[in-house]
Amino acid sequence: MQTDHTENVVERDFGGMVTAAVFILVAVVALWDTTNMVDADSFVFPRAVAIAMIIFCMLLIAWGLIRPIPGDGEASAPGASTTRRVSLVAAMLGSTALMPWLGFLISGFAAFVSIMLIAMYDEWTPFRKLVYPLVCAAFVVGFYFLFAELLLVPLPIGGLFE
Amino acid sequence: MPGIEYLLEALTPFNIMLALGGVIAGTIIGSLPGLTATMAVAVLVPITFSMPPASALILMGAIYTGAIYGGAYAAILLNTPGTPSAIATTFDGFPMAKRGDGDLAVTLACLASVAGGLVGAAFLLGLAPPLAKVALAFGPVEYFWLAVFGLTLISALSEGNLLKGLIGACFGLLLSSIGIAEISADVRFTFGSQVLLGGIETVSALIGLYCVPVLIDLVATPDRHLKVTHQPKGFRLIEALAISWKYKFNLVRSSVIGTLVGILPGAGGSIAGLVAYSEARRVSKRSEHFGTGEPEGVQATESANNATVGGGFIPTLVLGIPGTPPDAVILGALLIQGVRTGPNLFTEEGSIVYTFIYGLFLATILMLPVGLVIGRYAYKIIITVPKAMLVPTVAFMTMIGTFSIRNSVSDVIIMITLGVIGWILNRAGYSPSPIVLGLILGRIAEQGFVQAWTIGAATDELAAMFFGRPISLAIIAFIGLSLFYPLIRSRWTGRRRKVNAD
Repeated sequence: MQTDHTENVVERDFGGMVTAAVFILVAVVALWDTTNMVDADSFVFPRAVAIAMIIFCMLLIAWGLIRPIPGDGEASAPGASTTRRVSLVAAMLGSTALMPWLGFLISGFAAFVSIMLIAMYDEWTPFRKLVYPLVCAAFVVGFYFLFAELLLVPLPIGGLFE
Repeated sequence: MPGIEYLLEALTPFNIMLALGGVIAGTIIGSLPGLTATMAVAVLVPITFSMPPASALILMGAIYTGAIYGGAYAAILLNTPGTPSAIATTFDGFPMAKRGDGDLAVTLACLASVAGGLVGAAFLLGLAPPLAKVALAFGPVEYFWLAVFGLTLISALSEGNLLKGLIGACFGLLLSSIGIAEISADVRFTFGSQVLLGGIETVSALIGLYCVPVLIDLVATPDRHLKVTHQPKGFRLIEALAISWKYKFNLVRSSVIGTLVGILPGAGGSIAGLVAYSEARRVSKRSEHFGTGEPEGVQATESANNATVGGGFIPTLVLGIPGTPPDAVILGALLIQGVRTGPNLFTEEGSIVYTFIYGLFLATILMLPVGLVIGRYAYKIIITVPKAMLVPTVAFMTMIGTFSIRNSVSDVIIMITLGVIGWILNRAGYSPSPIVLGLILGRIAEQGFVQAWTIGAATDELAAMFFGRPISLAIIAFIGLSLFYPLIRSRWTGRRRKVNAD
């Protein structure tokens, strides 16, 4: 005989509570850092905020333990790819980290191409193989020109090329 | 009322061309995340040096007004405020776009921006000298209470969990404390890192917290970015006009709020948008729908932020105190032109000032066709571009936009890191909006509080300093209303229902 266990399962907002615990840690570190400040003008505001944050977090955790309520976080779409998510962040961070050495143009191009590959779900038809890289190059060069030449933003040239 | 000769002077083909070109350039620059209205005006200022002062002012005013409106595109279609003024536009604009009403939201934003711009310009034309006194009446304590008023929006943005909203706001307030303290110049929360000395740049943080989580989710599935419920046909102008007419009081109220906040030096479009949004939500019969794609929310923010253009010019021209950051750039350009701002400007240099104000009306009216056309194409591009092109384009724009704010690679790293934190917090039910609110209002609140406290302690009138000034008391009353009005209204409605049932 099958038993329905779902009625006995108590849903709790574990995500919210764990995050609140992390925030308590952040607030404690902030409080500790304010002890190095000598001027009251500097520490009164952040100290008050950090204490308030600890109180709110403790209330949230206590509330979550006393009155179990399910989490209200944004649910992940079915079949969502974690690999692609991590790859996107890695591509953005990696290309930015390389910017001082490779320059904005090359690292920007690398970021664009890698993110394009990560976000590609369609089949690579001959048309796409030809057009996408061209659009990619035109976009990166166009924006580089707009920012560096017209808006006079000193985009990094790259330590390797100086 | 100033003479018609100034209106005719503003309507020369050269000035019309400048107004049109300025609005187009401003709208495009404002729509790019990271490029603010201040930057748009600053970059294009050198062009104005060889022009007559009135024409130069018309061009700068047109760029400014266009850039403030342009910020709405990215806010609605990408959940990324193109300019900080458009923060509150994301609250309802993006949910509207997600449910398939992006084109309607863009048109509504355009109509609201035009209405707000016209109201701001009308105040500038008719009431500039008396209203300039308001700017002088605002001291540190009033700024502190204004920031607290902005923070009451947390209850609206917490999406059901007030504690999480408050925790998020505290986190934002702590983030705003990073770097060198403005009053005492103490180094705070940098932990020895030179990168953090300059603090967390607000626009970079906005881009990270709002846009990067969208990109992270966008790349994870093959689904389309925005739901398309119908083939885009036209601008949905009739529908948008009907909504604008239905909520005309919201439009007028938000425009007046925007003008008044614009008059306050340093407050700017972001505060105006947040205050107007808060008020619109408080007064609305559909307040529970705010944050889920309510047209009134988009309308309130966009009319308020564009009204700051005219409002900001009031202290700039009458007192020589810039009302908003772009006004500071414009003031500098005027000084180079040899125009001396001050109370006598309206009488001694009436031809420059009134020609410019009529030019501002012209630019605002031109924003309607320009905004509708650019908005339509922006929407079509976003819904038709394949994901493999859309994601890298937006990611690249966030990177280059963030870099350009302070020419800092570290800011780009911080932006991406905050984006990842924002995504994780979203999963745990923490909305990014309270964090952003804390980050923006933290500096204003702290500076106002510390200055007011210092003055109050020095004069031995601490309580009177915080609770004894008429404007402060008025703002405190609004804070009370904002916090408790939903409770009072629900009780009142419940009592009426009970009476009716009896």
